[in-house]
Amino acid sequence: MNKTALSLGFGSCPRCQKVNKMHNERQQCSRCHYWFHARKPNSIQKTMAWTITALVLFVPANLYPMMVLNTLGKTESSTILQGISAFVQVGHYPIAIIIFIASFIIPLGKIIGLFILIYNVKHKTNINLKRQSHLFHIVEKIGPWSMLDVFVVVVMASVVNLGFLSNIEVAIGASYFALMVIATLMAANSFDPRLLWDNKPLTKEQVYEQ
Amino acid sequence: MQVNTDTLIACQLCDTLVNIPQISSGEKAICPCCQSVLYVPKKHSLERTQAISLAGLLLLLPATQLPLMGIYAAGKYHQTSLLECITLLTNNGFYLIAFCVLIFTIVVPAVRLFTAFYLTYCLQRNINKPFLMVFFRSYHLLDNWAMIHVFFLGVIVSLYKLVDIADVAIGAGIASLVMLLMCSTMLSVCIDYRYLWTELERSHE
Repeated sequence: MNKTALSLGFGSCPRCQKVNKMHNERQQCSRCHYWFHARKPNSIQKTMAWTITALVLFVPANLYPMMVLNTLGKTESSTILQGISAFVQVGHYPIAIIIFIASFIIPLGKIIGLFILIYNVKHKTNINLKRQSHLFHIVEKIGPWSMLDVFVVVVMASVVNLGFLSNIEVAIGASYFALMVIATLMAANSFDPRLLWDNKPLTKEQVYEQ
Repeated sequence: MQVNTDTLIACQLCDTLVNIPQISSGEKAICPCCQSVLYVPKKHSLERTQAISLAGLLLLLPATQLPLMGIYAAGKYHQTSLLECITLLTNNGFYLIAFCVLIFTIVVPAVRLFTAFYLTYCLQRNINKPFLMVFFRSYHLLDNWAMIHVFFLGVIVSLYKLVDIADVAIGAGIASLVMLLMCSTMLSVCIDYRYLWTELERSHE
């Protein structure tokens, strides 16, 4: 009974969500004049490329320091993990957990989740499609939170700026981290969740209909 | 075969095509295949969207200009605002991060608020502008790129960090930022895409 728009010759505009009759592979939405395809073209390849980029950038983002602390001539630099362990040592567990989730678990979870989704589309595994759809929804929504640590460093650097006495500077790791977050956002953007359902086997009724 | 596509809606997650159900506000349309939300009609969407987006636009200036927080250390007081954060980053040569902060916390929210306000204003006055569609399309595109909520959490975390080091004072910028955050969240709650798009389509005919 449930038929996809594609199988009936329709396509929905990704911007305004209007259902259009597809005359060509690429056509203009009759409502918002946006040029679109029934499915995002080369979605899997693009998602794969962005996800691998994010994975590669994840390494320097964690190896290089996020910020440099200068106090009375002494310099001290810290990476994300060092920052988290400093919190744990002081005893600020809630903050340590928040930063650990935002800057470690979310990006890694997003990258792994996207790899799982790509694998499932490529190998046409039709297990738990609902859950996979749900996974994509989560991956799409949690993305921005991994930017947290960059914002923390930016605010810290801007407030603690007392000249020679003590100041905090942003370091190169933050740039890599921001790039990594952008790559994961682009990856989630270029993935087309409808591809998951396209390989769904026909139900008995649909087979009889045909 | 001519089909009226106005009565159809396709699920954005699984592409199942269904007839638009007649539902009243307070109810949700759920996809029969993947159980995701198809659309939710909103009460007084036009007026609410307009009011909230106007409030958000007015808050944009204080939220970026007023000091977020300051510290007392070694007899000195230093405070900073969102815009000063960005200028400091550009002065230090971190153009990429400065660009990210500028886009994600100021430009994207500003464009979304402005689009919502301008669109509802024009629909109410029956003013017809061709680039309204471009604006509204960009609104959909920018949905996942607004990060005021993340920035706000970042400010809270850094407050927590700084309390150990020095005496910290909270500025008026934080209050404006909270209200801006509320406006931007309420905007995405109140806006009714389907209703606005059909109105926009009708006004263009």
